[in-house]
Amino acid sequence: MHSQLINRLREERARRNLTQAELATMVGVSRKTINTVENGVFIPSTVLALQLARALGTSVESVFQLRK
Amino acid sequence: MEPRTTVEIADRNSRRRAVIVAAGAIVFVIGQVMGRTEFRDTTDTGLYLSRSIMWTVNVILLLAFLATGGGLLTRREIRELVNDEVSRLNYKTSVVAGFWVAMTTALGIYLIPGLDHLSGRQAVYVVITSSVAVASIAFSYLELRAHRDA
Repeated sequence: MHSQLINRLREERARRNLTQAELATMVGVSRKTINTVENGVFIPSTVLALQLARALGTSVESVFQLRK
Repeated sequence: MEPRTTVEIADRNSRRRAVIVAAGAIVFVIGQVMGRTEFRDTTDTGLYLSRSIMWTVNVILLLAFLATGGGLLTRREIRELVNDEVSRLNYKTSVVAGFWVAMTTALGIYLIPGLDHLSGRQAVYVVITSSVAVASIAFSYLELRAHRDA
């Protein structure tokens, strides 16, 4: 994971009681993508970050932030 | 449990692909270490030819699997999920790894004095075998890691 990136995808997903597979279906990606983003293995593209935020009904900044 | 949704089917296919590529690469490497296709006595033309054909088929299969994602027979929406952003990144990373192995191996063959007796065919065989094996193993490792839960 990029050292400057704070990633709250897992927390935001859990808050909505969604499984990785359910969120993946909502966004139209594979569960592997959700898993790797949550684990910090993969930094999503801008498009995917926006899609994730939209599916969770929140802003991109509440899911992904830069350290101050 | 049998997968039902498109995401579940894609998940299963993606895992299977990673395992198939890993198994194919391992069988390929073991086959070449044991068979040493280009470094055996070539007086038996039939045996040499059959080994060469096997090696070529193995290389083409592994390369085709890497290039297409191995999902040409599945539905388009599943194929797109299997070859998503993560897999495309893993593909690029593994191909880059294979490229550097090819360059390093080729440089080694060119520079190491003891290897200057290798024929062009043998050099190509070593470069392709090592780079295709590394690219395939790297891809399957990255894919399996992507499936692993934290």
